[in-house]
Amino acid sequence: MFNAIKIAMVMTVLATAGMGYLYVKRLQSNLEIAQANVAKMEVAIQVSEASIATLQADAVRNAELTATLQKDLQTAERYGDELRATLQKHNLTALAQRKPGLIENRMQDATNSLWNDLRSITDPNGVQLDDAGTQSSNSN
Amino acid sequence: MPEPKVVTVTNTVKTTVPIVARPKGAQINDVKIYVVTAENYDEFVEKFTNKNGELVYIAISVKDYENLSLNFAELKRYIEQQKQIIVYYEEAVKPEDVISNTSQ
Repeated sequence: MFNAIKIAMVMTVLATAGMGYLYVKRLQSNLEIAQANVAKMEVAIQVSEASIATLQADAVRNAELTATLQKDLQTAERYGDELRATLQKHNLTALAQRKPGLIENRMQDATNSLWNDLRSITDPNGVQLDDAGTQSSNSN
Repeated sequence: MPEPKVVTVTNTVKTTVPIVARPKGAQINDVKIYVVTAENYDEFVEKFTNKNGELVYIAISVKDYENLSLNFAELKRYIEQQKQIIVYYEEAVKPEDVISNTSQ
């Protein structure tokens, strides 16, 4: 009788110890998964933050580039506008009638200047000055 | 027991496009202009024949000369604006290390 009680107690202790061991193992496994999840989330947050920073930097840069482009496109209109204004202001027919030699020289200079502008703006290595060819006095 | 998480992340990757060389520059030939009136026609004939050997020429009215000038002005504007748009795209696709080096 006394032996049976002893055996039962030992069995109970062993069973409790076994269950405790399994419980701890399961806790450790859960902890590893949780740690892996946290690591993944941290990487995901870092990538997302880097992407947001890239997008924000791109947005600022694109805004700057667009502003510069609009200014440059506007500048390119100046030459044509000034030429139209010059042609409207002067009666070229009357001027040519009165002073053909003078107008011939003016036309020749302006035409040569236009050719130079075209050579310059199509030069693949050329550096175009900001005001090159933007005025009717620069070219035709 | 927690499930292993599947994390989907949107990553922004900048496309790097190689910049191609520009086309060769325009080969422009010079053009001689004569302004001719009834008064200087004889002088023009002499000057022109001495230069070109024979008296064959293409005449253009002052109005058409103005139109020609305006047409060239339009072409010049178009070329310049196209060039500026190309520069814009070149700058936009520049790699970030090149941008930071040029801005320093």
